[in-house]
Amino acid sequence: MTPLGIYIHIPFCLSKCAYCDFYSRTATKEDYDEYTRALVTHISEAEMRTSDYLVDSIYFGGGTPTAIGERNLIKILSAIYRSFKVSETSEITCEANPNSVTARGLKKLRRAGFNRISFGMQSAHLAELRNLGRTHTFDDVKAAVENARRARFENISLDLMYGLPSQSIGDFLDSLDAAIALSPEHISCYSLKIEPDTPLAERPETLFLPSDDEQADMYLAAVTRLSDEGYTQYEISNFAKDGFSSRHNMKYWTLGEYWGFGPSAHSLVGKKRFSYIRDTSRYISAMKFHDEVIEKIETINTSERCGEYLMLGLRTTDGIVPETVEKKYLTHFDEIEKVLLKYHKTGHAQFDGTKWWLTPEGFLISNMIIGDVLDALEISEHLVRPLNGYVRKDV
Amino acid sequence: MAKKENIRNFCIIAHIDHGKSTLADRLLEHCKAVTEREMENQLLDDMELERERGITIKARAVRMDYVAKSGEQYVLNLIDTPGHVDFNYEVSRSLAACEGALLVVDASQGIEAQTLANTYLAIEHDLEVIPVINKIDLPSADPERVKGEIEDIIGIPAEDAPAISAKMGLNIEAVLEYAVENIPAPTGDDSAPLRAIIFDSRYDSYRGVIVYLRVMEGEIRPGMKIKMMASGAEFEVVETGYMLPRGERKTDSLSAGEVGFFTASIKNVTDTQVGDTVTGAENPAAEPLPGYRTVRPMVFSGVYPADGAKYPDLRDALDKLKLNDASLTYEPESSAALGFGFRCGFLGLLHMEVIQERLEREYNLDLITTAPSVIYKVKKTDGEILMITNPLNYPNPSEIEWAEEPFVAASIISPTEYIGNIMELCQERRGEYKDTKYLDQTRVEIHYDLPLNEIIYDFFDALKSKTRGYASLDYELTGYRKSDLVKLDILLNGDPVDALSFIVHSEKAYARARRLAEKLKEHIPRQLFEIPIQATIGSKIIARETVKALRKDVLAKCYGGDITRKKKLLEKQKEGKKRMRNLGSVEVPQDAFMAVLKLDE
Repeated sequence: MTPLGIYIHIPFCLSKCAYCDFYSRTATKEDYDEYTRALVTHISEAEMRTSDYLVDSIYFGGGTPTAIGERNLIKILSAIYRSFKVSETSEITCEANPNSVTARGLKKLRRAGFNRISFGMQSAHLAELRNLGRTHTFDDVKAAVENARRARFENISLDLMYGLPSQSIGDFLDSLDAAIALSPEHISCYSLKIEPDTPLAERPETLFLPSDDEQADMYLAAVTRLSDEGYTQYEISNFAKDGFSSRHNMKYWTLGEYWGFGPSAHSLVGKKRFSYIRDTSRYISAMKFHDEVIEKIETINTSERCGEYLMLGLRTTDGIVPETVEKKYLTHFDEIEKVLLKYHKTGHAQFDGTKWWLTPEGFLISNMIIGDVLDALEISEHLVRPLNGYVRKDV
Repeated sequence: MAKKENIRNFCIIAHIDHGKSTLADRLLEHCKAVTEREMENQLLDDMELERERGITIKARAVRMDYVAKSGEQYVLNLIDTPGHVDFNYEVSRSLAACEGALLVVDASQGIEAQTLANTYLAIEHDLEVIPVINKIDLPSADPERVKGEIEDIIGIPAEDAPAISAKMGLNIEAVLEYAVENIPAPTGDDSAPLRAIIFDSRYDSYRGVIVYLRVMEGEIRPGMKIKMMASGAEFEVVETGYMLPRGERKTDSLSAGEVGFFTASIKNVTDTQVGDTVTGAENPAAEPLPGYRTVRPMVFSGVYPADGAKYPDLRDALDKLKLNDASLTYEPESSAALGFGFRCGFLGLLHMEVIQERLEREYNLDLITTAPSVIYKVKKTDGEILMITNPLNYPNPSEIEWAEEPFVAASIISPTEYIGNIMELCQERRGEYKDTKYLDQTRVEIHYDLPLNEIIYDFFDALKSKTRGYASLDYELTGYRKSDLVKLDILLNGDPVDALSFIVHSEKAYARARRLAEKLKEHIPRQLFEIPIQATIGSKIIARETVKALRKDVLAKCYGGDITRKKKLLEKQKEGKKRMRNLGSVEVPQDAFMAVLKLDE
C-alpha cells in the first residue's frame, strides 16, 4: 500500500497578519460549522478511490485551524478515519497560534488523536510581533507549550521568522534562544518574504528590513546554534531533534503523495498534481451540490518529475542521488554534475560518493543553484535504459 | 481640380494633451472624410508607437472637402507634423507646406510651454495662426481668460476664436468656418516651371517610393519628367493624387497650391529627401525653394541582437526600415562582447529610441544597444586622418597627434526668467556662449556653441526640466574643433568589455567613469563571485565599484505543498536569465548597456 499524507486547509484566521498573502478570512461560528460540513462531505466522497493507500500523516494547516474550534477539527479527523485507512503510527499535526488554543482544547485534540502541534511563535519580541500583526506575546507561547506538554503532546514545533523589520542578528538570536529554551522537538526558521498586496508591501522603504547579507548571517548563525543544541537541519528552513523531522513536510520534498482538502489546497496523487478552487464560499456551495472543485490539474511526466526531484531534493539535507536520476528518471547526470561541481568549488554543495546536497551557504542561494541545475537538466541526454551504475567522479 | 482660392493648407499645433489629435479626428469626421465605422481615435497617428507615446513621428497629410455656410466648396489639407527636436527640420518642411496653423489651447490650462514654442515656429514660417479654445466642456474651463492670455502673451487676436470641445464634438463647424475665412488661400502661378516641396516619403513595395509634396508653382502630372533639385535624380511621374484618411484618390495633376503625392517607380527614399524641391526635368525652375538641408545622422550606436543567431533577422529589419527612413544609416560591425551587429547612425537620441523600439516591436527582435557616440576626427602621428564612429577604433593616445569633436550652433528660445538656468546648463556641458537676443520683452533667443557629444544624451530633457518645458532647442552642425578627448574602458572582473567603451572629454572623464561604475553596479545582479567593475583610461584605473557575491536567494517556504508556485518562480528567474549576456564569467543584463545613457538621472 502506498503511503499518503492528508492536508486539511482551514481558511480562517482570527486576525490577519501583515505579511500574509495566504487565502484566509474571518467568519462566524455558523461559517465554521458550514465549512466543516463541506470538508466532511468532500472527505467522505473521496472514500472509494483510496483503497490502495495507507495514510501515515495528517496535517491541519491554514489559516489558523484552531479558529474553527476543537469540536469541528475532531469531526473532520473522524471523517478522515472513516474514509481512509489510517496507520496507527500516523503523525497527526495541528497548526495553532499560541493564543488561539486553551489547555482544555489541547487536551481534547490530544485525546482525539492529534499527536503533533505546531505553534506560530515567530518572535520573542513584542515589537516585532506587533509589526507582523501578530496578536500573541511570548508569554502566550510559553503557556501554550506548557499546556501542550501537560496535554501529553510529545512532538511540538515552533515556527520562527528572521529578516523582520528593524531586526538585528542579536534580536533574532534572542528569539531563537527563547524558543530553544522551551525544548520543542522541532523548529522552523523562515525568512520573511514581502509578498505583493500585503500590508507590509505597501511601504517597504519604511520597514528597515535587514539587508540580504544580514539575513544570510542570521540564517547561518541559526543553523550553527540549532545544530549545537541538537537540532539537525533536514530542509532549508526545518530543524528537528533525532526522529522528529516532520513526516508531512518531508512528503513535499521527496515526491511523496499527499491529498489536500479545502479551498486552494494542493495535492500530488499518483502522477497528478491538482489544486482546488480558492474561493471558500464557492467551495462550500460546490460541496452542497456535489460539484467539481478542481481548479487546475496536470499530469507530471517523467522528465518533469525528474525536475521536481532535483528541485525539491536540493532543498533537503538528503539531497539528490545521481544513481536515482539515471536509473529512475533515465537521465544522464553528467551535465547536472558539472553544475554541482562548480558550486562544490565555492563551498555551496557537497558530495559523499552517493548523494549531492547543499551546505547552509548553498541553501541560501538555492534558487540560483536549482535554476542552474534545471538548465542543465534541459540539455541532459535521455537514456534508453539505465547506465550500469553511476560512476563516481572524484570531487 | 479645386479652385485655388478655395484651398486651405494648414497644420494643427498645440501643447501636448491639449487635444490636437482629437480635433484632427473631429475635423475629418465633420467633413465626412471618414465614416463613423472607420472612426478610430487619433487617425493620423497610425504607427502603434506614435499612439502609445502620444507623439507624431512621421509627417502626413490628408485632404477633406468642406462645404461652407456660404455654399462655397472648399478643399482643406491638414498636414500633421512631428514634434521633437530630433525632427525639427522635418517639422519646418511641413510648416513650409502650409499657409496657416490652428493653435489649439486648453480652456482651463491656457498657454503652456509647447503652445509658445510651436507658435513661434509657425510665425517664423509666416503662417497665419488661428487660435482655437478646446475642452470647454471641462468644469474648470475659462475660455475668456484663455483668450486674454493668447492676446497678451502671444499677441494674436483671439476675441473671435472658436470655443469648442473636440471630445464632445461641440462647435467643430465653427473651427472650419473660422479657418476658411482666416487662413489665406495659396498663391502661385500654375504656368510657371514646377516647384514643389517634399515633406515626406514612404516606400511601398508595389509602387516604389510615394512622395508627399506641396506644389508651390507650376504643376505636376503623370508622364512628366521631373528632377530632384538637390539630389539631381530624375524620374518619370507614374501617378499623382491626394490622400484620404484611409487610402487615397488619384488625380490627373497637382497644381500650385495643392498638397498630394506622386509616384515615379523610385526605388530608394534617399532620392527623395525631405525639403528637396521637385521641378520639371525639361523646363526646370531657376532656383530651388529655400530651406533645404541634407539630413545626416549625427549619433551613432552599435545595435546587436540579444540572441546572436538573430543577426540576419536584424539585417533584414534594418533593410526594411531604411526603405522608409532616409536618415537611418547602418553598417556591419562586431564586438568581442556582443558578437555581430551594426553601427547605426541616427538624427538624435529620440530617433535612435524610435528605431530601436520599432525593431523590437515590429520585427520582434531583442536588442542590445551600445552608448551613442558622435563622429570624432583623429589625426594620427603617421599623418593618417580617421573619422571615428565606434570607440573601439579609437587609437592609442601615443598614436594621436590631435583629436577633434563636432560642435553645433545651438539656439534656445525661452522666456527670460530661465536665462540663468539655461546658461548654467550650457556651461556645464562645455558650451561656449555666443549671444543673447531679446525677441520681445518676455522672450530671448540664446546662442551657444556646444560639443555635439554633450547634447546627444539628455540635453534636451535637462533643458526642458530646467525651463519647466518652456524652452525650445534647435541646433545645426557647424564643424570640428580640437579637443582633449580620452577613451574610457570598462573592465568587469578584470576583462575589458568593448561594448561599454566610450570617448569623453578628459575633464569629464572622472565624473563619468564614477557614475558609470555606480550605474553598472546597480544593474549587474549579485552573482556567485564578487565582481570588480573598473573604469580605465589606458592602463590607469580611475573608478572602481564592486558587486558583492550573492548570499541570499531562497524561497523559504513551500506553502501547503504548492509546488507550482516554486516552479513559476524558477521560470521567472529563467526569463530574467534570457535577458542576460554572458561576458566571460559575468552575467550582464541587457539594460546595463543602456545604463551609460542615463548617467545624469
